[in-house]
Amino acid sequence: MRLASRRHLLGWGGGIAAATILRPSVGGSNQTRQITDSAGRRIELPAQITRVFAAGPPAAIILYTLAPDTLIGWTRAFDFDEQAFIPEHYAKLPGLGRLTGRGNTANIEAVLAAKPDVVFDYGSIAPTFVSLADRVQQQTGVPYVLVDGSFGAIEHAYTVLGAMVGDTKGAADLITATRAILAKVDSVLARQTRHPRIYYARGPNGLNTGLGGSINVECLERLGAINVAAQALGRGGLVTVSLEQVLTWNPEIIVTSDDNFYRAVGNDLAWRGIDAVKNRRVYLSPGLPFGWVDFPPSVNRLIGLLWLLAVLYPESYPGSLRQDVAAFYDQYYHRRPTDAQLDSLLVDSRGLRP
Amino acid sequence: MKSMLSPPLAIALALVLLAAMIVAAFALGKFPLAPSDVLAVLWSKLTGGDPQLAGNVEAVVLRIRGPRIMAAVLVGASLAASGAAYQGLLRNPLVSPDILGVSSGAALGAVLGIFLSLPVLGIQALSFAFGLVAVAAVYGIGVSMRGHDPILILVLAGVVIGTLLGSCIALLKYFADPYNQLPAITFWLLGSLAAATPADAFSVLLPILCGLVPLYLLRWRMNLMSLGDEEARALGVNTTHLRLTIVAAATLMTSAAVSISGIIGWVGLLIPHFARLLAGPNFNRLLPTSILLGATFLLGVDTLARTAAAIEIPLGVLTAFVGTPLFLWLLVNVRQSWQ
Amino acid sequence: MTLAIESLGFGYPGKTIGRDVSLSVTGGETLCLLGPNGTGKTTLFKTILGLIPPHAGQVTIDGADLARLSRRDIARKIGYVPQAQVGFFPFTVHDIVLMGRTAHLAPFASPSPADRKLAGDALAALGISHLADKVYTRISGGERQLVLIARALVQQPAYLIMDEPTASLDFGNQIRVLDRIRQLAAQNIGILFSTHDPDHAFLCADRAALLHDGRLARLASPREAVTPESLQQLYGVNVRIIEIDDPGTGRRRPVCVPSLADQAQRVA
Repeated sequence: MRLASRRHLLGWGGGIAAATILRPSVGGSNQTRQITDSAGRRIELPAQITRVFAAGPPAAIILYTLAPDTLIGWTRAFDFDEQAFIPEHYAKLPGLGRLTGRGNTANIEAVLAAKPDVVFDYGSIAPTFVSLADRVQQQTGVPYVLVDGSFGAIEHAYTVLGAMVGDTKGAADLITATRAILAKVDSVLARQTRHPRIYYARGPNGLNTGLGGSINVECLERLGAINVAAQALGRGGLVTVSLEQVLTWNPEIIVTSDDNFYRAVGNDLAWRGIDAVKNRRVYLSPGLPFGWVDFPPSVNRLIGLLWLLAVLYPESYPGSLRQDVAAFYDQYYHRRPTDAQLDSLLVDSRGLRP
Repeated sequence: MKSMLSPPLAIALALVLLAAMIVAAFALGKFPLAPSDVLAVLWSKLTGGDPQLAGNVEAVVLRIRGPRIMAAVLVGASLAASGAAYQGLLRNPLVSPDILGVSSGAALGAVLGIFLSLPVLGIQALSFAFGLVAVAAVYGIGVSMRGHDPILILVLAGVVIGTLLGSCIALLKYFADPYNQLPAITFWLLGSLAAATPADAFSVLLPILCGLVPLYLLRWRMNLMSLGDEEARALGVNTTHLRLTIVAAATLMTSAAVSISGIIGWVGLLIPHFARLLAGPNFNRLLPTSILLGATFLLGVDTLARTAAAIEIPLGVLTAFVGTPLFLWLLVNVRQSWQ
Repeated sequence: MTLAIESLGFGYPGKTIGRDVSLSVTGGETLCLLGPNGTGKTTLFKTILGLIPPHAGQVTIDGADLARLSRRDIARKIGYVPQAQVGFFPFTVHDIVLMGRTAHLAPFASPSPADRKLAGDALAALGISHLADKVYTRISGGERQLVLIARALVQQPAYLIMDEPTASLDFGNQIRVLDRIRQLAAQNIGILFSTHDPDHAFLCADRAALLHDGRLARLASPREAVTPESLQQLYGVNVRIIEIDDPGTGRRRPVCVPSLADQAQRVA
């Protein structure tokens, strides 16, 4: 009876999952190990991790950089433009939805049916999300690893991730590369005597911006730029400001991720009075396959650091941004962009066209 | 208009529908399960045996589908029973359980909990508490204004407090962290049972029963409340006490339901109408029929929400899509379901 | 066994419309309250029942102060027949009548088969058994009035307070209701009812009370209370009262004969 029902399940393909979830009753090859995640949770993982469910876009991205073959799917499937920048077999992975409590669009049964060895989440480690992690783990029996997604903790994140997927060497390489990028940034910053005043414009009318310490402007603040909104209004999250305020602040540089705003601002009389627009120092951050500067808030922003470096301190940039971008995409996204692709990425990096 | 069926037949029919829906809900889902496996797990749970199945199967049946079905049944029953009670109490067929602000209060509690980054249990507890407090405030206002029509004052106070609570929610949304908190808030407000755990289902069982049982026991007297305050009193009912009891029971149930499911509309408004079509306005039959139909309806919609598309469809959205055409049909075809 | 109203002042918050009304009804007695529209007959009845707080005075049932009794106890003693309204939910007539049994039910109970039988009997006693399964909101005003009387009857009260019970009834039903009132009085129920028609006082009341400008103008036997002078004062119309031999009882009974102002011209 016991054997018959087991065979029945294997015929359904559930046997593999069963072997990894159950306490093994055959052989000693299925050992488990323990890791500690960013929230201090001790989690038992199977010795071999081959399938990881990424709980949200930031988790998917950082996992993709280190262990793309373990990725079961993305949060949402890539569209045509995005697919061109990553290898095809990864680009075609399905969209599975989020499992982060920020919008649970993933069906838990579908997650289980995808037979993950572990669920990986990368982002806030506030108590809400820690308790969500515990709940999902208890409900499904699948280990749920939660890693701190803040910008300053990227090295720690790669360490935990490397331990999780069993690729400490790959993690070390990425940590080295990350350190190199940060070192480059710091070396340029060290030589600067003045910091440019910059306004980060969000939304189609450009009047949504991030205050000091908000996750959206982490890149900007890492580069030592003065966020004019933070200077005037202090710390906080996202706010909507008025054009009068922006005119008063008169930033030297405007950075935006919004296509529509970028196209419109050059012709908008109201914005002409701002130095940044007068001097054509308005820049549109590239966004393929993942945004460079703002969202998703994951390691994709590392290349945004270099880009901002070139935008803010063009004379001081060591080497070629173009080559750095190509190298970054090669190492982190596993696909070196073509010349045409590089052109399209960097097209709006020289400021507004006359 | 008379009820279409004799009373025992109407309730029996509703019971059969619910049983069928539960069976269907256990059978459907994104994780492939053989019906025999489902039965084996359930049977072993009842008899205490070991089903000898893969751990995943047990997890899906007992920790994912089972609690979700139980939660849907409880929430649907609560919302429908509250809707029926309020429609009778306030003598208005267009009333939903939220008329006195319980859903707005519970929503504010949950949003506040998310804003303060509380663990999930804290969010649910705050949601439950705020739902009760909101109605207590409305009821307090209603009672303190003597000499006026008690029903009218209650409804007006409910509208005012509900609006105030809505503004507070809007304010919190404005200040919330846009990456983590705001999406969580938005998702909660759309209503979902996607994350229902056994703890959730069992934690609301007690408050919901504490609401359902008194309402069920008082169902005959609720008929008299729909005659109006003076006539009910002349017939021997202490309307002040009964009104308080009905409001307290309905609020307890609805607040508990909303704390685990978020805002789900249309169930409390529509189901009593359909129950009235089936069983007539006499609460002796209307209440049990509403409870059963409400449970069946929400269970059906929730099963749809988790199987129809690749991703989860929020319950509140789905009940609106399903409920609005049903309501229009009701208005057009059965003009006189309440007269 | 008396329902006693002592110096009752009644009205609405901030407005007293009646003062110093004292009357009493004993078991088996029928008291008819006469008064024009708007004098506050309905308000007076609601105040007697305790549905509206009195502005002065008190009401006692068999010596007990009504203000101290629970609604349940009051309902077991006094049955109220209000003026029939359309109603809101489509209850059946049988269910409406059954609601009258609530005062006799335990707090969490539903009506038993015995209660149902009583409701059926009440409908039969009023000759409206054929309406039992009809929807209350769909029957005529007169039929509704009879249903409400049946509902009051199943309360098995000692007293009945009826607010214009013949108001929307046709001629035949009016007579039948008045007949019913006489029969109920014979069963030792004390009845207080209001009416427009002074003849009703003569037909079935033991005493008549006239409510004028918020005060009790007369309280006496019908012959003494209802006179051409008192009717002139109450309604401002010319009425003659003549005695006839009642065909049913064979005794002499007064009858009101109003005279229209232009009668002389019309006949000519």
